[in-house]
Amino acid sequence: MRNKVGNKSIAISILSSIFKMIRKNPVSWLIIGLTILFATLYSESFLTGTNLESILKGFVITSMLSIGPTFVVLMGSLDVSYMGIWMFGGALVWLLFPYLGMASIFIYPIFGLALGFINGIVHVKSKIPSFILTLSITAVLAYLTTVIRNIYGVLTLAVPEYRFLTGSLIQYVPTTFLLALPVFILSFFFMNFTKLGTYLCAIGSNEEGAELAGINVKKYKVLGFAVSGFLSGLGSIALYSYLGARAPVTLDLNEMIRGLAAIVLGGTPLVGGIGGPHRTLFGALAYVLIFNGLFLAGIDPNQFKLYIGLTLIAAVLIASRGLKGVLIT
Amino acid sequence: MNFSDLSIIEVRNVSKTFNGVVRALDNVSINVKENEIVSVVGENGAGKSTLMKILVGIYPPDTGEFYHKGIEVPFPRNPGEALKRGISIVYQEKGVIPHLKVYQFLFLNMEEKFTRLGRLQLERILNVAKEVLDELNIKCDITSYMYELPLSTQKMIEIARAILSIKLEHGEIGADKLTPIIILDEPTAPLSLEERDELFNHLLELKKTSSFIFVSHIIPEVIKFSERIYVLRDGKLVAHHDLSKEKVVEEELFREIVGRESHYYLWSKYAYGKSELFEKEPIVLSIKNLSKRGYYQDISFDLHKGECIGLFGPAGSGKSEIAKTIYGIISPDSGTIITRHKKAGLNDEPHRRLKMGVGYFSGETGKELFLYWPIRKNVSLVNMEKVAKKPIKVMSIINFKAERSLAEKIMKKLRIRAPSVETECYSLSGGNKQKVSVGKWLERSPDIILLEDPTIGIDVGSREDIYEVLLEMKRSGISMILVSDDPKEYAILCDRIFFIKDGKLQKVYENEEFRKVMQL
Repeated sequence: MRNKVGNKSIAISILSSIFKMIRKNPVSWLIIGLTILFATLYSESFLTGTNLESILKGFVITSMLSIGPTFVVLMGSLDVSYMGIWMFGGALVWLLFPYLGMASIFIYPIFGLALGFINGIVHVKSKIPSFILTLSITAVLAYLTTVIRNIYGVLTLAVPEYRFLTGSLIQYVPTTFLLALPVFILSFFFMNFTKLGTYLCAIGSNEEGAELAGINVKKYKVLGFAVSGFLSGLGSIALYSYLGARAPVTLDLNEMIRGLAAIVLGGTPLVGGIGGPHRTLFGALAYVLIFNGLFLAGIDPNQFKLYIGLTLIAAVLIASRGLKGVLIT
Repeated sequence: MNFSDLSIIEVRNVSKTFNGVVRALDNVSINVKENEIVSVVGENGAGKSTLMKILVGIYPPDTGEFYHKGIEVPFPRNPGEALKRGISIVYQEKGVIPHLKVYQFLFLNMEEKFTRLGRLQLERILNVAKEVLDELNIKCDITSYMYELPLSTQKMIEIARAILSIKLEHGEIGADKLTPIIILDEPTAPLSLEERDELFNHLLELKKTSSFIFVSHIIPEVIKFSERIYVLRDGKLVAHHDLSKEKVVEEELFREIVGRESHYYLWSKYAYGKSELFEKEPIVLSIKNLSKRGYYQDISFDLHKGECIGLFGPAGSGKSEIAKTIYGIISPDSGTIITRHKKAGLNDEPHRRLKMGVGYFSGETGKELFLYWPIRKNVSLVNMEKVAKKPIKVMSIINFKAERSLAEKIMKKLRIRAPSVETECYSLSGGNKQKVSVGKWLERSPDIILLEDPTIGIDVGSREDIYEVLLEMKRSGISMILVSDDPKEYAILCDRIFFIKDGKLQKVYENEEFRKVMQL
């Protein structure tokens, strides 16, 4: 008897927390809506193991690209250097493998952290707008990657020894997802349990107020970029395994937009102050669902590039104005 | 009644309510005559800006009549209609576009009158611009950029632009049939003292052909330069002075503007130390020869432990800049700031001063508080040392339990009315918001706290709660420096009051002496 009551109250509390989550993250309506829509439209293909696995894969890719920069967007700046970290870091792994062996994969987070610090310091000292700065750095790193490839005269910078990361350990659960879990956990930890998360939010919400409260705004801006770089570096390990133990050698604009779109779609507006990595995860899921639906509808994948750009514009529009009746806070 | 006595415009019994609750204007009547400067004074939120926005057609009034040269006409519905009646406004800030050339700025949005077949007639524009500036006796190169000019000249060009737009609207450049009415919304706020004088000399010159409505809360300027003064308080017209018939002293005007319920019972409750009492206490802050050009010069004083010093003076006297300098928001040109621990670098930022034991609290809402955060997070923002653990040196992990209990303690102590510590601050009332802002400093307990308008814009009850908290902080040995517009606030909180005028320290009053002088 007592057990029954206990179960009931647990069920109610779970339901209420789910409802609270939906209320606080308007994008979850989109996710629920899309899921129902696709499940009815493509009842044959949507809810199959393979399709869900590919959704999960896409989700991991999108979230790994966007979760680091979320911290920078949170404080009202932009960081697109995740592409540079992913590409050039891959080249570094390839270069260092003969010397460091399997440990060379750890160059990714180290390089990410270092680049984040550089980005932050240059941005704060020289006051170059962060988007321009990180975009330029990404272009430079992409070029350097190509240079390395040309010098050694290879087609791809793949390290076949890491292929074991790619294979599925559990059925229908991509290994990339397992590799992504620590990144999720770390990002939640940074956001919710450290001083840093609070301070970054404060800077994005009201920089003058943050300064008046005695926060060292410059220092925390640099740290924000560093966290972004570090998480992007860690995430790149998952991305590395996704492409079969290699990193891309040419800069793909769509991948870059994908990261920004997930952040904004999730409800971290570009002016900063509100949101965080949890929202980015919602955004990444919504983003992947949209394109999974397009894929199932049999639309030519070449057209996807068009939809990627349109999605970003729509996401920014909705996030900056809010939807009628939806308070995005 | 001869013609010059007739008002050009007159509004009668204007009332305006926002959202059905906030009564911004209550039965206000004012008029403007030919060739005069009329001042409208009042505190922030007294209704000055609302009245001006009604005059230029940005807001429609709820009730009221509008007379133009004695004939009743409807209120203007937009700034364009106001222009047709000869009324234009120069806003407080951000009216100037720095990267336009003078003549471009002067004719901004009026180009169609100087365009033929889509081509700007540059020569005509240059000629008219030169003519206008000559007429108004503004000396500047019309091909230079706005940002290259001194601020007072920029303001003058804004005024010239307002006059020009009225005249162009009537199609009569240089004609003097119509007297333009220019509304100046706190024009001197961004200017330094010398620039202000220059601006006023110009205005006196311009008065021969125009009328001005001068919105301000800087009392000496208002008395010096205007013919008539209207005083607004809480949306009501409380006084009207005609300076040609009566003499008005600064203190009288001050009382009319502020005119709040007094806190006599608080005065009887707390004893104020004479300065000898504090001389034995250690010095926590020593300021020597602090100067910043155009704001304040040669400020020196010592602040003892548990003492409260008030920097008193008219707005624009440099008092708030001194306080901001001590917290590192403004950096001074020269001088020294020494706290109990060590000498402060002149270009330090606030976070360094905070480490040296200096705190800062401003009552200006929105500046201090993070509105979409719960009370808990707002409180812990400056109290991270108390609520966060440091397992390794570079990482602070927040303890939510400690955060919550700290916020609960402050809520209880300050009687903050809110459902819980998780309540987001935007849903609180003005007084409760202010209490959250003060509360976080209460827990931090710095050596010195700078207070800028700590009770601005809140009701009497919350005011008293905040005074009590501040007095308690003072008793516990925290030193304070107060900057405010309300003399009563100084009388309640301060032991010594420094009178500051024109950026210089003029006189030092003891609390008792100050109350006698201010007749409080």
